[in-house]
Amino acid sequence: MGEEENVEDLAYTQRLKAAVHFTTGQICEELGVELDVTFSRQFISALAETTFKQMENFAGDLEAFSQHAKRSTINPEDVKLLTRRSRDLNAHIGTLCARQIAENDAVKEKKKGKSKRKAKPVVELETSEDAE
Amino acid sequence: MASTSTSSHEDITFKQGTIQRLLQKNFKEEKTKINKDALVLIVELSRIFVNEGACRSAQQAKSEQAMVVEPRHLEKVLPQLLLDF
Repeated sequence: MGEEENVEDLAYTQRLKAAVHFTTGQICEELGVELDVTFSRQFISALAETTFKQMENFAGDLEAFSQHAKRSTINPEDVKLLTRRSRDLNAHIGTLCARQIAENDAVKEKKKGKSKRKAKPVVELETSEDAE
Repeated sequence: MASTSTSSHEDITFKQGTIQRLLQKNFKEEKTKINKDALVLIVELSRIFVNEGACRSAQQAKSEQAMVVEPRHLEKVLPQLLLDF
């Protein structure tokens, strides 16, 4: 029975790996057109494998961060902490996070608005993306 | 939707379900969960990781006057890539 479970686990891992490989291939294809280069199949496999392994690292780090904060749910703050090593990456994730908070607040205000009229201006962060 | 080839490459990204299962599989504690907003950020982070890996490798290949990006180009940029994430 143990072996059967192992085989199933392996098949599950392979499926996840295939999903990562597929998306990696799509991203590379798109980028190849843009940059006018060709990504070899071996390259895509290697990058997919790297991404797969990196996700394992992410999972371990995120779990450790949330546990350190005495939580069992990973929240955006943990992801921000994960990207602490690169300043630009940290800024980008920070912007996305701020936008999510603004959106969530807007939804909350809408729900509250019916009972309590208290309009609060929601900061629009749309312009930063257009520059890209 | 199938023919929107001119749309920005940010549209191509991982499925939330894939990333969630992948993370869940690697958690030591079964009860660890992921907030929905956090998952969106992790999906974005994964997309950037792949994008960066491909971009830097393409740059490396171009600097060697190669038109095809091969694993040896990834090998050259991998240390810095991993240090940045």
